[in-house]
Amino acid sequence: MTTAVPTAPAPAAPPAGRLRRHRPVLLLLAPGALALLLTYALPLVWVVRMALNRPLDGGAILQTVTLSTFTDVLASSHYWNVIGQTLQLGVLTTVFTLLLSYPVALFLARTTSRWRSLLFALAVAPLLISSVARTFGWMAILGNQGVVNKTLLAIGVIDDPLRLANNMTGVVIASTEIYMPFAILAMLAGFGRLDPELERAAASLGAGRFAVLRRVVLPLTAPGVLTASLLVFVLSLSGYVTPRLIGGGRVFVLATEIYDEAMNSLNWPVAAVLSVLLLLLFGLVVAVHLWAQRVLEARFTGRGRSTS
Amino acid sequence: MADQPAAPARAGYLRLAGLTKVFPGEGGPQGAAVAGIDLEVAHGELLAVLGPSGCGKSTTLRMIAGLIEPSAGTVEVGGRDITRLPVHRRDMGVVFQSYALFPHLDVFRNVAFGLEMRKTAKSEVRTRVARALDLVRLGHLGDRRVSQLSGGQQQRVALARALVIEPAVLLLDEPLSNLDAQLRGAMRDEIRRIHDETGITTVFVTHDQREALSMADRVAVMNAGRVEQLGTPEEVYERPSGRFTAEFVGRANLLPGTVTATHGAGGGAGAEVAIPGLGTVRATGDAVTPEGRATVMLRPHRITLRAAGKADAGPRGTVLSAGYSGEVIGYRVRAAHDGPELEVEHPAGAGTAFGPGAEVLIGWDDAAPRLVADDGDPA
Repeated sequence: MTTAVPTAPAPAAPPAGRLRRHRPVLLLLAPGALALLLTYALPLVWVVRMALNRPLDGGAILQTVTLSTFTDVLASSHYWNVIGQTLQLGVLTTVFTLLLSYPVALFLARTTSRWRSLLFALAVAPLLISSVARTFGWMAILGNQGVVNKTLLAIGVIDDPLRLANNMTGVVIASTEIYMPFAILAMLAGFGRLDPELERAAASLGAGRFAVLRRVVLPLTAPGVLTASLLVFVLSLSGYVTPRLIGGGRVFVLATEIYDEAMNSLNWPVAAVLSVLLLLLFGLVVAVHLWAQRVLEARFTGRGRSTS
Repeated sequence: MADQPAAPARAGYLRLAGLTKVFPGEGGPQGAAVAGIDLEVAHGELLAVLGPSGCGKSTTLRMIAGLIEPSAGTVEVGGRDITRLPVHRRDMGVVFQSYALFPHLDVFRNVAFGLEMRKTAKSEVRTRVARALDLVRLGHLGDRRVSQLSGGQQQRVALARALVIEPAVLLLDEPLSNLDAQLRGAMRDEIRRIHDETGITTVFVTHDQREALSMADRVAVMNAGRVEQLGTPEEVYERPSGRFTAEFVGRANLLPGTVTATHGAGGGAGAEVAIPGLGTVRATGDAVTPEGRATVMLRPHRITLRAAGKADAGPRGTVLSAGYSGEVIGYRVRAAHDGPELEVEHPAGAGTAFGPGAEVLIGWDDAAPRLVADDGDPA
């Protein structure tokens, strides 16, 4: 950079002076940057490199540079099915998590009860327990011999156990519960514009409860909902424990498939290709999210000609 | 509202009867935020509810709007009891202290909100919003975001949003308190002008006596959940009913004394009151206790000070302090040697200025002294 950035408040400094001025910042950034380089960037490069190799029988790898592993994976209906199930799990989990978390977050944001802190702690308390333990808990609840089925069978509501585990239904139910605390936290962080006086103003202008919710509360809380949806969607796309344990070997998502290819089939190139596809999926989701956020933010600050 | 009488009674268009609010946790009627208010506002009138913070004036306004449910009493508009009617069906235009503009909507959509809730036709919404924005002189800012407006502009949008629905009653909660002093003066005239143009029955709440006196047709002075006095600005200022009103609306010297003679009755009533240090003062009013005691109110600006010569007769005093504040000089004067301490205001630059220790002759307008009931409740 030999020219000054136009928006820089200070007059252009020569590059050497600029470096000296920023040296403390750079020094502070260095340890983190180094750690990220070693643990994140280098392995990522290695994964991409591996994806360009060819798998041979018996776990052997042909060192080469080719896109043929990609084309093989993309030509296989099995892997498309895996991608489809991954997206299905992500979308369903996100939708249910948002639906269940929104009322809780809205209540926590609006309540003036003196129990508010306690209720908030309770809402996020599940984070204190590992998601593995919670998944086992859901297996005990949802299984054929689980609490739900035993109860329903005992009182004669059903004759055969409901299939709630070892399938997508069980994975979505458990994932929803597991991601709810994250969603509630993300929503609360994004509910800053919510103001009870605005709801009163809307009511005074003739808006009933439903109109207030639709015309005022929902738009004002949309940024929080958007953040929560990104978080839950990304988390559930990459989820491994819950689909593996509750899926009972019948739910195939990218995370479980990558593990199987790498550890069971010893097919590292295919595992690497699936990892790259998952990364691309993340990139796509984040891009959509950023776009939606910009559209939303423009509504509050005035179509790009914000005053900032 | 179609079911309003065609010609509402001139008196009592908005009628509050025994309106009371006791918040949970507050005990008994003594602790009520609003303790039984009876008030009638005529159609097209501009009423100011004036009182110190915590006197229950905002709670009263919110009960009229339907935002707070009264513990007892009724609210009537045009002869119709609306006490139990939910907020959104009350047809009240409310301007909130914080303005409460919708940050996700532009100025036009903010103002259009109430009309959209009433399912008004799109073309009519456009013309009425434009008219409302013109009324508050913001016609050119319809497509602005709320966050791009100054405080004064936001205040006008809030006003336009409440006016555009042509509400039965317009309610303003401390509408000027968030504006700087200069803007406040301009908005004061602006609200009065808009009221005169629209003729909407208006109640506004304020803790600023100048706002109340300069804008309102009538002023209701509130204290501790009750209406102390209801009257025109002149009545409230010149003939306060009690100590609280006298001291809260403007500044006042309240001088206790002994009644030596009374004369007249009703509006022409008056009395002569012997006040230690000032001699006998002729005052209007009839607030005399059975024991023959009375309290005389003298406004600081109605008292005059002259340099005292040796031969001059009349009440004398000593200047204790003098404070210059631009338009006026405020003095504290001790009457006689052991008499009451008086607050006096002189226009700055007119006549002699006195320094502390100066010996002065104390005089006043003959019409100024006024008897005030001493309710034993100093402000």
